Amino acid sequence: MAAPQMSSSSDLNPKAAALLLAPLTIVMLLVFVYPLLTTAWTSIHPDTGLSLAAYVELFHSTLFLKTLRTTFEISISGTLVSLLIGFPVAMHLTVQPPRRRTGYLILVMLPFWTSILVKSFALTVVFGNQGLVNQFLGLVSGGTLNIPMMFNRTGVIIGMINFLLPFMILSILGSLLAQDAMLIRAAETMGAGSFRIFWRIILPLSMPGVVAGVLINMTLSIGMYITPALLGGRQDMMVANLVDFYTRQTLDWTAASATAMVLFAISACLVAMLGRIRGAQGLSGAAA
Amino acid sequence: MTGAPSFGIDRRGVSVVAWSCYLFLLLPSLIVIPISFGNPGEIQFPPRQFSLALYRQFFSDPAWWGSLLESLGVALATTIASLCLAVPAAYALSRSRLAGRALLRGLFMMPMLVPVVVLGLGLYLQYSDWGLLDTSAGLVLAHVTLAVPFIMVSVMSGLAHADVALETVALIMGASRLRIFFRVVLPQLSSAIAVGALFAFLTSLDEVVVAYFVTGTSTMTLPVKMYSAIRWELSPVIAAVSTLLTVVSLSIALGIIALQRPTEANS
Repeated sequence: MAAPQMSSSSDLNPKAAALLLAPLTIVMLLVFVYPLLTTAWTSIHPDTGLSLAAYVELFHSTLFLKTLRTTFEISISGTLVSLLIGFPVAMHLTVQPPRRRTGYLILVMLPFWTSILVKSFALTVVFGNQGLVNQFLGLVSGGTLNIPMMFNRTGVIIGMINFLLPFMILSILGSLLAQDAMLIRAAETMGAGSFRIFWRIILPLSMPGVVAGVLINMTLSIGMYITPALLGGRQDMMVANLVDFYTRQTLDWTAASATAMVLFAISACLVAMLGRIRGAQGLSGAAA
Repeated sequence: MTGAPSFGIDRRGVSVVAWSCYLFLLLPSLIVIPISFGNPGEIQFPPRQFSLALYRQFFSDPAWWGSLLESLGVALATTIASLCLAVPAAYALSRSRLAGRALLRGLFMMPMLVPVVVLGLGLYLQYSDWGLLDTSAGLVLAHVTLAVPFIMVSVMSGLAHADVALETVALIMGASRLRIFFRVVLPQLSSAIAVGALFAFLTSLDEVVVAYFVTGTSTMTLPVKMYSAIRWELSPVIAAVSTLLTVVSLSIALGIIALQRPTEANS
């Protein structure tokens, strides 16, 4: 004990620190990093030796290209809807007195804790063909109106924004709360209208939160698996579902691995952009 | 209202959007609860009669309650294992000047940022080599990697708030490192560790995708069973399962909120 300390006296000596870090590091390398490397290796090493054939094939495959396009379409539209709803909600939270804001924030955070399966099932109960919304529409319209909102593109997007909204709201709320109320008072005093204040002050100043929220939403939605599988139709398969399809249906592990690597690369780019605007600290904060 | 900017915007419009959003986020999961007490033959809201038939169905089918037991066991083992691994590591990261700390921190946080399906496939390929497919141990190890980031975030912030001076004093008084860790550091971290543990438990209990890749018939967890039930049969029992899961999730969430309150007040 009490080995000579170099810096602050409360610091652990390097040997003790390494000993405490070793078990977790080993587990993470074996069960997290190594499987990812195996996936990368499988994608470039089919039975015939090293080759990039799997990637060339993927980018010539109609199924893959169509799935990739669907993935981007769904992720981008889900993120945009989430932004359009999330921004006013964040504003609503900002103008509340702190105590009440905490209460509303709990409402926003609770779904974050609910199992994605429960949420998906619940959404089919509410928005399905025999669901509450359609029952109501049928009642109002005398049985003529029934809008299919589940097991199609709309269903995936409804499920997606239900999952994404809390992240968007929290991200924007952060940059709205950081704004100086005096700035807005000053603009009001000088005679600026509310429309002008919103476009010239509030919106520009909240851009960091908006950009971070959009990137977090994109990162989360691009890798979605459960929502398209449970709420989409056959046309709404996303890249994550394609990985499963190659693994289980066609048993083509090389194609599955290559697809997974493409997904990994896309989400790594998004995470890198997020890291750039937020710093490493912000990344962990955003996810937690 | 003090200090809150008025934004000079149409308050009523914003309120309508906000409340619709709160309802959209909350209501679906809550509606499932009354449905679970309804008639077992149909998914109906509002239920026409009160009955516990769906719960009876759940607890009399070994495929259902067996998967619940498996899930609870895996979640408990994941929580214990990830605490034992992550708490000492977090302590070492925040109380040492070891080279490569940032890199290790990145490694421990990374599972949060990788699409789960990528990890699921990787573990599937790896476990078929190692003979860990369809084993509870394999699933627990996989869930540990997903739970570690949450414990890291919580315990690191607990350590940042803990009083380093107390540790220095104990060291000067001649206490051993081990004794300081258990007697001085851990007691200050109790609520941060509890929050991390609840996160870890819930992460494992709700996890579907990785479990779907690495489990088989003998280790099927509740979410995997539920996933295929929603996908292929849409049986009303799902309403009962959903209610059980929602009650567990909400209790854990409220526990975390209650635990986080006092630390926020201190900071």
